[in-house]
Amino acid sequence: MFSLRNCGLWVAASLTKKRLTLARFSGDSAAPLATKFDVIVIGGGHAGTEAAAAAARCGSRTLLLTHRVDTIGQMSCNPSFGGIGKGHLMREVDALDGLCSRICDQSGVHYKVLNRRKGPAVWGLRAQIDRKLYKQNMQKEILNTPLLTVQEGAVEDLILTEPEPEYTGKCRVSGVVLADGSTVHAESVVLTTGTFLRGVIVIGLEMHPAGRLGDQPSIGLAHTLEKLGFVVGRLKTGTPPRIAKESINFSILNKQTPDNPSIPFSFISETVWIKPEDQLPCYLTHTNPKVDEIVLENLHLNSHIKETTRGPRYCPSIESKVLRFPNRLHQVWLEPEGMDSDLIYPQGLSVTLPAELQEKMITCIKGLEKAKMIQPGYGVQYDYLDPRQITPSLETHLVQRLFFAGQINGTTGYEEAAAQGVIAGINASLRVKRKPPFVVSRTEGYIGVLIDDLTTLGTNEPYRMFTSRAEFRLSLRPDNADSRLTFRGYKEVGCVSQQRYERASWMKSSLEEGISVLKSIEFSSSKWKKLIPEASISIGKSLPLRALDVLKYEEVDMKLLATAVPAPLKKYITCRELAERLKIEDWGC
Amino acid sequence: MWRGLWTLVARAARGPRSPRPCTRQGSGVPVPGSGTTIFALSSGHGRCGIAVIRTSGPASGHALRSLTAPRDLPPARSACLRLLSHPRSGEPLDRALVLWFPGPQSFTGEDCAEFHVHGGPAVVSGVLQALGSVPGLRPAEAGEFTRRAFAHGKLSLTEVEGLADLIHAETEAQRRQALRQLDGELGHLCHGWAGTLTKALAHVEAYIDFGEDDNLEEGVLEQGGSCKGWGHLVSQPPEAPSLPPLCSLPSTANSEVRELQLALGAHLRDARRGQRLRSGAHVVVAGPPNAGKSSLVNLLSRKPVSIVSPEPGTTRDVLETPVDLAGFPALLSDTAGLREGAGPVEQEGVRRARERLEQADLILAVLDASDLASPSSRNFLDTVVAPAGAGSPNGNSQRLLLVLNKSDLLPPGGPDPSPNLRPHLLLSCLTGEGLDGLLEALRKELAEVCGDPSTGPPLLTRARHQHHLQGCLDALGHYTQTKDLALAAEALRLARGHLARITGGGGTEEILDIIFRDFCVGK
Repeated sequence: MFSLRNCGLWVAASLTKKRLTLARFSGDSAAPLATKFDVIVIGGGHAGTEAAAAAARCGSRTLLLTHRVDTIGQMSCNPSFGGIGKGHLMREVDALDGLCSRICDQSGVHYKVLNRRKGPAVWGLRAQIDRKLYKQNMQKEILNTPLLTVQEGAVEDLILTEPEPEYTGKCRVSGVVLADGSTVHAESVVLTTGTFLRGVIVIGLEMHPAGRLGDQPSIGLAHTLEKLGFVVGRLKTGTPPRIAKESINFSILNKQTPDNPSIPFSFISETVWIKPEDQLPCYLTHTNPKVDEIVLENLHLNSHIKETTRGPRYCPSIESKVLRFPNRLHQVWLEPEGMDSDLIYPQGLSVTLPAELQEKMITCIKGLEKAKMIQPGYGVQYDYLDPRQITPSLETHLVQRLFFAGQINGTTGYEEAAAQGVIAGINASLRVKRKPPFVVSRTEGYIGVLIDDLTTLGTNEPYRMFTSRAEFRLSLRPDNADSRLTFRGYKEVGCVSQQRYERASWMKSSLEEGISVLKSIEFSSSKWKKLIPEASISIGKSLPLRALDVLKYEEVDMKLLATAVPAPLKKYITCRELAERLKIEDWGC
Repeated sequence: MWRGLWTLVARAARGPRSPRPCTRQGSGVPVPGSGTTIFALSSGHGRCGIAVIRTSGPASGHALRSLTAPRDLPPARSACLRLLSHPRSGEPLDRALVLWFPGPQSFTGEDCAEFHVHGGPAVVSGVLQALGSVPGLRPAEAGEFTRRAFAHGKLSLTEVEGLADLIHAETEAQRRQALRQLDGELGHLCHGWAGTLTKALAHVEAYIDFGEDDNLEEGVLEQGGSCKGWGHLVSQPPEAPSLPPLCSLPSTANSEVRELQLALGAHLRDARRGQRLRSGAHVVVAGPPNAGKSSLVNLLSRKPVSIVSPEPGTTRDVLETPVDLAGFPALLSDTAGLREGAGPVEQEGVRRARERLEQADLILAVLDASDLASPSSRNFLDTVVAPAGAGSPNGNSQRLLLVLNKSDLLPPGGPDPSPNLRPHLLLSCLTGEGLDGLLEALRKELAEVCGDPSTGPPLLTRARHQHHLQGCLDALGHYTQTKDLALAAEALRLARGHLARITGGGGTEEILDIIFRDFCVGK
């Protein structure tokens, strides 16, 4: 089935401009247009695409319903993926054969691993992503996925039937009703509506109903969910203004260059699509007292800030920063939006002041004195459903076979959404096959931490992943996500391709072989000291040291060892990842 | 360094370091605590001739050999007389019967050893300390023997059903015990240390999670805690700050950890800092003013402990006296009468009285039998007697005896008990009438309190404190040695986990709250 992936018919490019309300695009060129599917996924954002692709990978005939096909894979906030904790989630999504890591390896313009000096358990893979490329590559992937059909349409209601007596829940979902009154039936439904549930956009004192700038919100669906008895809460988030690139004076700002070499997100990417020297830099500037002044003088023009709706503590708007931490300078990263984009994204400058005041504020920042604002920053307020109403498989307690993933569960971030999407897609498919759910525990992955926190504690602010949330941080590392999840995904679920499984198996056996070789090499400490003078080996020890013991010294890596003892060890440094993992993992005694 | 830390991880991973157990979804979770060996006093802490100390776990045999050296292990399941001595100092402790139960034929299914020693507190304490000094041994947590027995399939279904209740009751008893111990200098110290450590950890976590991705700058960990913003610069020309201090950090984790290490080390070395501990069940006499509490205390202790006068509010502080009540050692506390609106000194007395009630093993609630309808009596019945008597079977309620004093003032027909009054005892401190009945009731209650081994003598609680403080100090040592920040943070997490066993708390949210309070994190 996986060899079919590239055989589908790609029709999106020619059709997206036409705004057909019920256009259908199928990756399965031979499939007739059906009115019954195994799994329906509502929403084409980061949770929806992962959910739909995962369900299809599991072998379920899947329908992805979205308002507009041309917004599939849209990055509606920051032009970056990954980070500390978030990068961990992406590696786990990738280990289950999810999409976002691979797409990022094809779409990035600036790859950088954060926390390099703080220990491998907290390295944060991160990249600036070209919005346009990401969307293109994601749409190409989605529209070419076998068993996956994509259709445009707004879902107004759910079709509900009698519950299955052997499960809990007061009814069962069996399909959806679209805005034009037509119905589509399915065995399970995954809801990934993001900020579209009664979404409202706020700029200054103006409020417009919208899920994202320029897109209609879902009102009918919000009513349906409330009528069913779901507890609904409200959250807010915001996005900064966009600035014209050519109007910024970069020459007086701090420049940040990407890593060389670039580390790919995906276990199956050998490298990323773009050379380090072709990648784009980011620039750093800071706010100053004038910014504070403008914010404080105009609080009365700012309804988003006045509302009591909870916003995140960790991704605050510039208004919250000024109010909570007065008299400080705040960083503003100027990030490229894409290879050929004229826009710059000022990370850290999320703001909901009236547009003309935003422009005034921007121009008092160093380097932005002559900056032209292309699009104002805005706030979004939206409904979420208390995630304690879902099980660890992301199925709702109230309605059988209905799954929620992404911002609807109170999370924020592309990566958090993608992680839930994969799990919801897998479980929606397993549910159809009447198989037990696939649950990742807190001890196995950040995905488990995320879902366990949500389903047992709920949340009252947009939930973002941090490594400090993970009790087992030392073992849940980005480097070993495949050994934690790929084998489970392959054997228990069937959501992992043969190619990936073989790669993970090769890595596993190479590591085991490498360890036994490292254990077999034994020299006296004085000989080691001579071979590797850089290492702080104390030569007083009488017992011989194994290469594995020497590798535990902080300053020793596989490269040094292989230079010292080339004969058996040389082959283990040909693969960067293998050499690094031999060094990182604790292999016991 | 790596290996040392991992052993530490493995050792600390056994307990609920975070308030949410991680076994919820997992399958194939290893038996909790397997691998470590636990010890506890298994007999009650009343006055007794013989006390039984028990160990369970793989190091039991080693512990038994260490204390009975140079002799070998006794034959399985048969009692032998051995001289116990301290494994380090060789100092003789007691001549005791020892039993050796190799697993799986033992109570817990693991290797177990029993030491039947003489019941004096010095002997018991000596043997407990000797066991604590054997590597791999630690004091048992509440219900841990039972939990291990359950985990190894040694308990039947009916016994399993009672397990949760049992552990709950034992935990509750330990909580009260711990509360009492924490009510002094040690408590203040522990809470202070826990606060410092939590803050240090929060700062390290903030540096890991937000140092590069968001807005934190280096310096959280080292350098002087310069908390200067640029407030003073506002009036100056804006070009003044060449290198702006960014969200500068109020404190530095490393120096705090070093100070904490010094403080803990000093505390553990200084034997005098040990908590003044008193054995015995804590019996607290409480009631509205002028009910005759002090008279009762004097009657029970057979000496004038408290000043008695007809004036309400005579007793203002908590007065403690160790007594022998119906054959059990008890610490009897006389407290100020509970009432509102008195002067500040008396109010403080009332606050202390309420605090003491919290910690009581048994409450003697005293009311004036002739004055049951007065507001202070009614209030006392509602706020103290009723909640304690709510009598939920899960052991959550406190033991309480309701005593109606001044029965001599009642008309001969008996009192006019309010219809809802719970079972009570009539007493006249003046005439001594009803004293026998009270002593009999006390005997029954105290037998149950003292018969519960889990409440443990204060000595065991002290051993536990010491164990966790030492664990905390060890982990802090790993923090300072480790260069990998994630490993260093893990050491701080372990250290904090140890303190949390003494003070409670310690969830992730607590850390996040500090992070978001102290730092402006955000893109």
